[in-house]
This record gives sequence, C-alpha cells and structure tokens, in this order.
Amino acid sequence: MAHELREKAAISGIGETAYTRGTPKSGLALQLEASLAAIADAGLSPRDIDGVIPYFPGGGIAEDFIANLGLPDLTLSAFIPMGGATCVAALQTAAMAVATGVCKNVLISVGRTGYSGARVSTRLQQFPQFALANEFEAPIGMFAPAQLYAQGARRHMQLYGTSARHFAEVAVVTRQHAILNGNVVMNKPLTVEEHHASRMISDPFRLFDCSLESDGGAAVIVSATDRAKSLRKPLVTVMGVAEGHPESPASIAQRPDLLEFGLVKAAARGYAMAGVGPKDMDVAEIYDCFTFTVINQLEILGFCKKGEGGPFVMDGRIALGGELPVNTHGGLLSQGHVVGLNHVIELTRQLRGEAGKAQVKDAEMGLVTGYGDMGDGSVAILRRAA
Amino acid sequence: MSTTTAAPPAPERPLPTPTRESQPYWDGMREHKFMLQHCASCGKVRHYPRPVCPHCFSMESSFKEAPLGGTIHAWTVCHHPFNFFFKAQAPYIVALVDMDAGVRVNAQLRGVAEKDLKIGQRVTLAFEPVNKDVTLPFFTAA
Repeated sequence: MAHELREKAAISGIGETAYTRGTPKSGLALQLEASLAAIADAGLSPRDIDGVIPYFPGGGIAEDFIANLGLPDLTLSAFIPMGGATCVAALQTAAMAVATGVCKNVLISVGRTGYSGARVSTRLQQFPQFALANEFEAPIGMFAPAQLYAQGARRHMQLYGTSARHFAEVAVVTRQHAILNGNVVMNKPLTVEEHHASRMISDPFRLFDCSLESDGGAAVIVSATDRAKSLRKPLVTVMGVAEGHPESPASIAQRPDLLEFGLVKAAARGYAMAGVGPKDMDVAEIYDCFTFTVINQLEILGFCKKGEGGPFVMDGRIALGGELPVNTHGGLLSQGHVVGLNHVIELTRQLRGEAGKAQVKDAEMGLVTGYGDMGDGSVAILRRAA
Repeated sequence: MSTTTAAPPAPERPLPTPTRESQPYWDGMREHKFMLQHCASCGKVRHYPRPVCPHCFSMESSFKEAPLGGTIHAWTVCHHPFNFFFKAQAPYIVALVDMDAGVRVNAQLRGVAEKDLKIGQRVTLAFEPVNKDVTLPFFTAA
C-alpha cells in the first residue's frame, strides 16, 4: 500500500531575491521579499498563508510574518533546528500539515545576511546544537564546518583514494551551471587549475571547495495537492520526504562512522515513501556546503557504491547533458547560500520546465537533499504531476 | 584629539565552560589525568559527558582515569584561522584519535609533519595548561 503522505502535498509557489555579496537589507527583509515572491508565484494572497516554518536561528519568527504580511489566522508555527537539513525537512512537516488539513498553505522561508552580517564561525556559537563542539572542540581550534567536516573528507581520501581532482570536478561543474542561471554570486568560469591553486582553508578543503558566504532570501509554499491543482503553476508533488538524525548528533568526533550520517536513514525512508529509487531520478539537487559533501551524499543516496563517489562525478556524469545532472542552479558553492532552499526552488523549476538555459530535457522526477548541523540529513523526491 | 591609537586588544582564546556533567573531565585535565565517564550500572564508557547512559539508561556514573594512548582515525590541517586567536598557530594539525579507552578525542597534534600522517598511527595524549583553571589536551607521536 502506498505511503499515506505520498503526493498529498505539492510545491505550489517559489520565490527568491537576488543573491549577492553585500546588501543594505536585513535578513528579515530578504526573507519577506522572497516570501511575497513565492506567494505571488502560487497565485495566492498573503492572507492565504496559515502555516509558517522560518529557518531558525536567524531571520524572522512567526510574529514577524503576522505583523508584516497581516496573516489573519496562523494555525502552525514551527522551527526545524537542523542546520542545512532544515529546509528539506521542513517540507515533511509542511506536507503533514496540509495533508491532514491543519494548514492550507505553509510558507517555508530563509533570509540570510551571511556576507554582510555575522559570519559562519560567529553564527554557529548561537546554535544550542553546537554546545558540545563549543566546549570540547573550539578550545583546541576547531570551530567552523570547514574544519569539522574536513576530517571525514580526509578519511574518505585515505580509505578510497578520493582526490582533489574529484573535488575540483564538483566545483567546476557547479560553476558551469551557475553561469547559465543568471541570479548567482559567482558568474565567471572556474578551471580545475584555479581550484587547485586556491588557498587551503582546512585540509583537504580549499577555498573553492567551500560554499559561499552570501546575502539573499528564498521561500517556497507547500499546499495540499488537491488545492495546488487549481493554482497558477504546473503541479509538482512531493512523492517522498524524510529527515534522519545520525548517531552522536552533536559531535562528529564521537560518531562511529564519519561518513554515515542522517541521510542514510532519510534516504531509505524517502525512497520507500515515493516507491522509486535512484535510477528514476532525472536530476538531483544535492546540499553542497562542500564539494566533498556532494560526493559523499551521492554514495549514500545509492547513485554509486560507498567509496566510488569520486570517480562517479567525473567525465561529465553530473553536468547538464550527463547521466545525472547535479546542482543545475549553481548550488551553495556558486549561486548563493540560503541553506539549501534554493535547491528546492531549482528542482521545482526543473520539473515545471522553467529552468531556462539549465533545463534538463523532459525532467519528470528528481530529488533534493539537505545536510547540516554536523550530520542531520533530509531528502525529498518531487515529480511533475501535470 | 589624541594622535596615538591604543593597541587592539589581544584576541581571546576560546575556553571551555564546564557543565555539571563535564566538570570532572576538566578537573582531571588540570591534574594531567584523562578522566572518562563510566556508567555505574553497565560499566560502558561515554564521551562527551552526559547525564544518562544511552545503553542502559542509568543516571549513575563515575569518572575513572584512562590510558593516554590511541591511534589516528582522521585529521585536518587548519590553515584559515576562523578565530583570530589561532592566527599565530596556523597551520596546525587537529587529529581525531581512537583512544585505547574506547572513545575519540579531537586535539592538536604536535611534532609530526603533515606528510607523515597516516590512519592508524600511534599517538599519546598530553596536557597543556592554558591558565590556572583550564588545561587542554594535545597529542604527540607515541
């Protein structure tokens, strides 16, 4: 029997601001600007929004949305504190809310001044999930995700022979895709040589292995599928969605296998709910806080075997026109860092046929992942249903 | 108007804030002892310190001194100082070590060249007092 939630929810609206480095706007203003764009894209009025899941911490809370958008009767206000896994995990909460009738239209949104406001090492100090890292790892000089995730990447290289050349391929292909998009921070071509010559941040991660610190906002609207059918845009349904939490969730150091995290559990549940597998995907938007993170997740998602992610990304396989186009918008590495909500937006565009020069021909089904908070994972499988 | 500018304050070293659970670990560090939390009921070791044993759910525990040896599980070499305090030390190696006691410790590894690092290499935990209250761990080649 099909999972009760399969295709009961749809992405009915998407919106984003310009992605920049530098803005006079607040994170809240960016979040609201993107939210209004998503509401308009769906053909709805702000008055129709009755659920909000804002990215937290940072940006607005339910009170801000009521005050600014005049929401008359909010029936759901939730935070999903999963770092980079938040946005895709929020799709699960939103899907449950609209499928059960608790909400009609749920707004998921992010507003971030990651360039002009507080930088990553400062922001993370505020996360309660980082308390153990702050106590045991910051004093010895480990603060930032680039450092905390680097040890897993190094281990993968030592065990499987994964190399900087593989990392570079992810960076270069992602940049090629970004250039086709237009609304991106990084709009000039990147070569393998430039990647290798970029300064070392935390070995094995060089500058061009790391995602951007940028400013911008993004939002999506989730509605019940029956309702979304009568809205403005082609119907894109949520076939499967799941979140997963790893062993030792607040410390990568104490995790038995550094290369297995919440996505292992989420992927199994997400595929089962959707009733499909990796071979059914026409396109994949993979959370790319680091180049290596894409390689690691492609393995976990079953696109290749454990340890084979490096060779898998080579020879144009993840580029447009390849077997599995990945991060067709430029991702966090080249488009902008709005905690992966831009990945959900891009997948929706691909399935609507609105992806412009980066359109994957006849894309009917794809997946999007979230990864963050030292190992939380989330995945959604979306389908063009109209 | 003054023509001299005050020297900028020295960057502050991030220091641990011990909790009621972790205090014995940090007290041990100060005495140059590697103290680990063990469940009083099932005996299993757990790190970082926390109130409940995730294996048997007992809330009773005690700290015991653990051996200092271990093997390298993974490492990173930190070049970019995300906190200005570490600018003078960069680049520095942070090794993640499988301790013989059955837990992992992340700490700086000193006296080993980056090119010589390998998984499984033996190292020994050592102690570095940073002020009268706080001593931090670091590793040296075994």
